[in-house]
Amino acid sequence: MQVNLEKSFPLPFPASAAWTLLSDLPSVAACMPGAEITETVDDTHFKGKVKAKVGPATMAFNGEIVLKNIDHKKREMHMVGKGQDSKGSSSAELDLKAWMLAIDANHCELKGEAVVTVNGKVASLGGRLMTQVSDQILNQFGKNFVERVMARESASPENPSASGTASPAPTAPAKASELNGLSFAWSVFVGLIKGLFSPKKPDTH
Amino acid sequence: MATTAEELDRQALLEGIGCSRKRKEDPRFIQGKGNYVDDVKLPGMVYADMVRSPYAHARIKSINKEKALALPGVLAVLTAEDLKPLKLHWMPTLAGDVQAVLADEKVHFQYQEVAVVVATDRYIAADATELVEVEYEALPALVDPHKALDADAPILREDVKEKDNVGQGPRKHPNHIFSWEVGDRDTTQSALDTAEVVVKQDMLYPRVHPSPLETCGCVASFDKVKGQLTVYITSQAPHIVRTVVSILSGVAESKIRIISPDIGGGFGNKVGVYPGYVTAIVASIVLGTPVKWIEDRIENISTTAWARDYHMTGELAADISGRIKGLRVNVLADHGAFNSHAQPTKWPAGLFSICTGSYDIPTAHVKVDGVYTNKSPGGVAYRCSFRVTEAVYLIERMMDILAQKLNIDKAEIRRRNFIKADAFPYKTALGWEVDSGNYQAALAKVLDAVHYDDLRKEQAEKRSRGELMGIGLVTFTEIVGAGPSKACDVLGVGMFESAEIRVHPTGSVIARMGTISTGQAHQTTYAQIIATELGLPSEDIQIEEGDTDTAPYGLGTYGSRSTPVGGAATAVAARKIRAKAQKIAAHLLEVSEADLDWDVDRFKVKGVPGQEKTMKEIAWAAYNNVPDGMEMGLEAVDYYDPPNFTYPFGAYLCVVDIDKLTGETKVRRFYALDDCGTRINPMIIEGQIHGGLTEGFAVAMGQEMPYDAEGNLLGNTFMDYFIPTFVETPHWETDYTVTPSPHHPLGAKGVAESPHVGSIPCFTSAIVDAFAHLGVTHMDMPHSAYRVWQKIHELGLDKQA
Repeated sequence: MQVNLEKSFPLPFPASAAWTLLSDLPSVAACMPGAEITETVDDTHFKGKVKAKVGPATMAFNGEIVLKNIDHKKREMHMVGKGQDSKGSSSAELDLKAWMLAIDANHCELKGEAVVTVNGKVASLGGRLMTQVSDQILNQFGKNFVERVMARESASPENPSASGTASPAPTAPAKASELNGLSFAWSVFVGLIKGLFSPKKPDTH
Repeated sequence: MATTAEELDRQALLEGIGCSRKRKEDPRFIQGKGNYVDDVKLPGMVYADMVRSPYAHARIKSINKEKALALPGVLAVLTAEDLKPLKLHWMPTLAGDVQAVLADEKVHFQYQEVAVVVATDRYIAADATELVEVEYEALPALVDPHKALDADAPILREDVKEKDNVGQGPRKHPNHIFSWEVGDRDTTQSALDTAEVVVKQDMLYPRVHPSPLETCGCVASFDKVKGQLTVYITSQAPHIVRTVVSILSGVAESKIRIISPDIGGGFGNKVGVYPGYVTAIVASIVLGTPVKWIEDRIENISTTAWARDYHMTGELAADISGRIKGLRVNVLADHGAFNSHAQPTKWPAGLFSICTGSYDIPTAHVKVDGVYTNKSPGGVAYRCSFRVTEAVYLIERMMDILAQKLNIDKAEIRRRNFIKADAFPYKTALGWEVDSGNYQAALAKVLDAVHYDDLRKEQAEKRSRGELMGIGLVTFTEIVGAGPSKACDVLGVGMFESAEIRVHPTGSVIARMGTISTGQAHQTTYAQIIATELGLPSEDIQIEEGDTDTAPYGLGTYGSRSTPVGGAATAVAARKIRAKAQKIAAHLLEVSEADLDWDVDRFKVKGVPGQEKTMKEIAWAAYNNVPDGMEMGLEAVDYYDPPNFTYPFGAYLCVVDIDKLTGETKVRRFYALDDCGTRINPMIIEGQIHGGLTEGFAVAMGQEMPYDAEGNLLGNTFMDYFIPTFVETPHWETDYTVTPSPHHPLGAKGVAESPHVGSIPCFTSAIVDAFAHLGVTHMDMPHSAYRVWQKIHELGLDKQA
């Protein structure tokens, strides 16, 4: 089954600064809850793994990530990650297009379009939660991403905006080791309830 | 026929035909003392589990067993490569196709068997399946059967790509399985061209699964020293399994023993031979130890025999008075990845051509096309005599639609088209000879019982208040008891049925049949038949089935064939014994055979009161005092080849109230009148009817196997798949008429499937009827609250003032 998601996260930084992080795939992966890059094959091919819990199904996906396109000028990237659950009962694919939209000199927006395709047990058992879970994964990703950029910016000496920051500069976010915390379950639940009361077209199910 | 009080007393003691005798099976079931396949434990037994495909369509690039084999307790991991030298990686299906035992190069449906793991412990086996590393290359999945024959459709079955015939006639595309036509195309066309009124409707009978309480499984045990194979198996047809296993394995049929112990529900799910059985047998032969394989619920729903998936278009031609002139039906049948329909060989669409129903239809034409898709194989299961459910659904929907078009009441349109009571045996336009019926009487009885006119008045009032109330009506005719060997065979074996009866010296009886009870209480009802035929109490009659070493060859229990065929064999075998008993009685009483009358439980000399011999006395004499030249003993065998099918029928009426704001349907009333001819045990019939109605309710109101565009099955647990409990199940009212079958020795017709076949269109009829005044003519199943609400919403009925 397929889930299509569109996301945008406003960032209080210049687009160029945020792009530096976005164009660094291992760092991007580290923002993805439960994910990590385990091997850099070449500039555009990586190996990685993701742990996720969707409803009753817990999975560890091992897979390949291919950077299909990266355009530093337009600040766009397109990557495809494909993985198979280590138990062989499920598979997942993430097709992600992300780009930086400059708002003004000090503000930008991280925009993303993701198509998540899952097969096997995760689709059969977790199907009803897929949209919420994918949505929450991306939300958490956005949050981590923003924190990472903030951390980088505050650590960077040539950044004028960093010196005047009142709040203590956050260090790199604690590495999300597995996508399975109580807080995550709660956010999925809240998302689900919100979904119930937001207007939407009846699906064809 | 017993007439005097004394005779009636003697008859009552027998507990024979017509007696609501309590089920002999129940004491062990309700005490948890049944013996199911999973209860079988043999010394040294090991366990098998399956590695299954997450993809609906993919190429297997590699399979790495190393990690699994390294797990302590794992004995073997078998793949198609391992079965290839034995030529067991593919197996023939009952429909002339082949099915992969373990995926050979490609997987064709989600959850398809890819490898089997055998381990010393069930849990180790399950863990090890997760360690088998399979590398797949995903291929585009074909899920919608309407796209199967497109020029650019992905080709599924590369193994038969070049074949222009996959067992059921010529085909026109690599994803095409067969085209099957019956009836008169031209006269039907001209009936439609010249008719005063024509109605046409597309309808989908969705894919559903019978999901019996007990899933499928087996324990295979090969004795290397004796060269004998014993298999305990969840099978509705153990003798066919033995033949198939013998053909596949090369082991002589006499050295194979198949035992179907207690079976926890079949409903057609347990007719076929599944890869799990074959791999357990192979593993046992290879390892020399007993191997147990038992499915879990997800595996059962995802991979074993399901039902229907018929995309049907019906067209009726009629005159303005509603009199039908012709029927045309076109069907696109989604058969899944392999054509593994378990049905009589010559019938690629089963008995679907019974779709002229209870009506006198002068001409008809049916065309069915079967196609492959990336879904599980199977297709004729679920309490249905080979596609009769689909046929009845089609004609009953079409009758409603015609009535609506002509603004004639749905009871009246049926009355106008019924086959007349004096027209039997009636030859249908599609070639069946309906043995007997009285449809007018059945319908009249139901309409009287529910006060039909009052219901219609109430409905009119409710409609004027904007409330949704629907009345469903169905007058179905079934075809069961496959079947005459001229028309029906399985793997070339005619579809007869068998009974072997032995009367012991003291008058107790042991009888063995080729059928197997999956909950129908054969141990109770077969004994009643013998009791009446032989005049011996049913309590002393032991019925045994399901062990191929002891039971005579039979084709098994499915398609409501046990009573029509097995029951007939039992009656005929008993009559052979009675004929011999008559000779012995004549000898004992020193009269001629012709001077004797049978009277309940004894032979009496005509006109000489007191000169008589009871069956018990005759049984004793059979072992010590028989006429000259007669061999001793009192036993008989019969292999009964029925001259025709039997055609039970019924009239069902359903009343529903639908909540306009939630789409929730309340079944207020369901009145089911069944006519199954002679009634052997009314209580068991009632139980069968309750079960069939409940399963019909499940199908109509909630069951479906939804596949997404990638071929993922999204409803294969009881979290999603609707199994009604006492909470949801409506109250059933049952009734009956008796129109015996003229060709069956007892006049009995079979009943277990009628309530399923008949009730499903009745629910649809009621739901659609609730919206009929708004121009709605048909709604596809399942009629879940959400789907009904969608219709309400579409019609704008949920707008609050």
